[in-house]
Amino acid sequence: MEPPAVPAATFERRVVRSGAEHHYLRVRLELPDGGARPNVAQFKQLVVSALRELHGEVGAALPVDVLTYEEKTLSAILRVISSGLVKLWSALTLLGFYQNRRCAFRVLQVKPCGGWTASPVCQFSL
Amino acid sequence: MAGFADLSLPQGLDKKSLQSLLEAAAHLGYSAVALNHVVDFKEKKQEIVKPVSPSELFPSLPIVQGTSKRIKVLTRLTLVVSDPSHCNLLRSTSANIRLYDIIAVFPKTEKLFHIACTTLDVDLVCINVTEKLPFYFRRPPVNMAIDRGIYFELLYSPAIKDSTMRRYTISNAISLMQICKGKNIVISSAAERPLELRGPYDVANLGLLFGLSESEAKAAVSTNCRATILHGETRKSACGVVYTVKKPRKVEEEETPLPACKKAKTQA
Repeated sequence: MEPPAVPAATFERRVVRSGAEHHYLRVRLELPDGGARPNVAQFKQLVVSALRELHGEVGAALPVDVLTYEEKTLSAILRVISSGLVKLWSALTLLGFYQNRRCAFRVLQVKPCGGWTASPVCQFSL
Repeated sequence: MAGFADLSLPQGLDKKSLQSLLEAAAHLGYSAVALNHVVDFKEKKQEIVKPVSPSELFPSLPIVQGTSKRIKVLTRLTLVVSDPSHCNLLRSTSANIRLYDIIAVFPKTEKLFHIACTTLDVDLVCINVTEKLPFYFRRPPVNMAIDRGIYFELLYSPAIKDSTMRRYTISNAISLMQICKGKNIVISSAAERPLELRGPYDVANLGLLFGLSESEAKAAVSTNCRATILHGETRKSACGVVYTVKKPRKVEEEETPLPACKKAKTQA
C-alpha cells in the first residue's frame, strides 16, 4: 500500500528591492570639560554646522532629524536618508570642536531601519 | 577577521596621557596600537635609540572592548628623510633598528619616494597630509611597492584639528587612490589626545570619503594593518634561506667531459 502523498512544501519568497529609506544613527557627543551642555536645538545646529564644514551647503541641506536627545548623557538618535549616510557619518567623525571646546562624536550604532536588536555594522556599549 | 589596529600613536608623551590614550583605544575597539617614535634627520645628531619596551611603560594593559584580550602595544620607528644619505641608516645593520616592530619612512621628495617604494626595506610609506604634495605619484614605483608588500599610510587626526589640513588630507588621499586603486592603504591617527581618536568603523567610513570601496575601507583599518605587522615580523626573522637538493647522478656517464646541457640531450 502506498503511503499517502505528502503535499510538496510551499514557500513564498519576497524580495524587497527598494532597500531601507532611512538610516538611524545612535551617537554620543563626548565633551569632557565641565562647561554648559548643548540643548537639543544647539545639538541640531552642531550637526548641521559639521555637515556644512565638510560638505558645504549641499551637505547642510541634507535632511537630518534628531529623533531623541538626552542632555544628561549627550546621546541622540539621528535619522538621515540612506544616500546621505556617508556624508553625515564622515562629517560627525571629522568634527573636532564645539564652541572652541574639544569634543568628539562617537557613533555607537548604525541601523538601516526598524528595531535596535541587531546591527549589521557595530555595537558598542555606552 | 583581523582585529582593528591603529598604527600611529605618538610616543613622546608622558606616561599618564599615554595610558589614557591606550584606554581610549581599547574602549573604542582597537586590538593593537603602535607607539611611533619619529626621527627627523634634518636636525643634527639624531640617534636611533632602543625602543622603550611596552611592558616597562604599562604594567597593566587595558582589555579591548568586545573581546577578552588585552590590547597589544607595538613599537614603530618613522624616519623622515629629505636626503638620500639619510637612507644609509636603513641599509646598515644597526642593532637598534631591528628592535622595532614596524619601520616606516616619510619621503619628502619624489626621488626618495621612488627609492622607498623600490629598494628600501620598510613596512610603511607615510604620505604627507599636512601640506600640498610636492610631487605627483607615478604608477611604476607605486605598483612595485604593492608587489613588495609595502603599505601607504594616511593620517586622519590633522583633519580633525584644522580645516586647511582637511583639504590637504582629502586631496592627497584622492590622488593616491587614483594611482594605487585602493590597494595597500592603511589609515591611522596620530592622535595626541584621547578625544582625537575615532572608532574603527568611523575611520573605515573616512576611507569611503577618500574614494575607497567599502571592503577596501574596512581592510584599511583591519586586514592591511595586520599585514603590515606581519611584514615587520618577517624582517626580524631570517633574511634568506638556502636549501640543498640532492640531485641524482648516473655513474657511467661521468667520464665524458661533455657540458651539462649537451649531456641532457644525449641522454634522451
